[in-house]
Amino acid sequence: MTCSARILVTSGWLAALGLQAAEAGKTLRLRLLLAAAIAFGAVFLILKGTEYANLFRQGIGTETHAFYTFSFLLTGFHAAHVLAGMILLALVGWLATPKAVEAGAAFWHMVDLVWVLLFPVVYLL
Amino acid sequence: MTRATKALASLLALSAASTALAASGLAGAALTLPILMLSGLKAHVILRDYLGLRIAPGWLRGFDLGLTLLILTFAGLALAV
Repeated sequence: MTCSARILVTSGWLAALGLQAAEAGKTLRLRLLLAAAIAFGAVFLILKGTEYANLFRQGIGTETHAFYTFSFLLTGFHAAHVLAGMILLALVGWLATPKAVEAGAAFWHMVDLVWVLLFPVVYLL
Repeated sequence: MTRATKALASLLALSAASTALAASGLAGAALTLPILMLSGLKAHVILRDYLGLRIAPGWLRGFDLGLTLLILTFAGLALAV
């Protein structure tokens, strides 16, 4: 479970380096870094999908208990934002302007930030 | 080492500390409070170094205040049940 937090903060690091590359006018480096950030996002979603599949196999769903209703809602909405962030990073990587990359990276960092706060509430406490 | 890379190292170290605490067998306030504090620290690092709020200290202080209130709310709810 904690693996997912490490994946997202590493992805955020790649996006931050991507912004530096955009500001330096290094388009190829920018696109490679954002592609790596997107790949980490995809790994995060695969982990989420695996976790959901395991819960469903055990007969656990959104109506099993109030905890799972909130857990699925919170992590599901977060996963939707991860997917949106991946699309956004691909778009700003294509545009490759510092302003666009800054906006895309800011969205990605907020997705990262929300997970850092959500994770202990859903999984640890 | 760039600021972003130092931030990543801090975030990974804080995550490792959270994992160690969760696996330590601690319970109640002894687990809840440090885990939430570590989360707040991670959020602060993301805001300061990834989002670049180090160049806007007023905004960083404002976000830190919001984070502190959120963490205190989570702690209150976790300890109340």
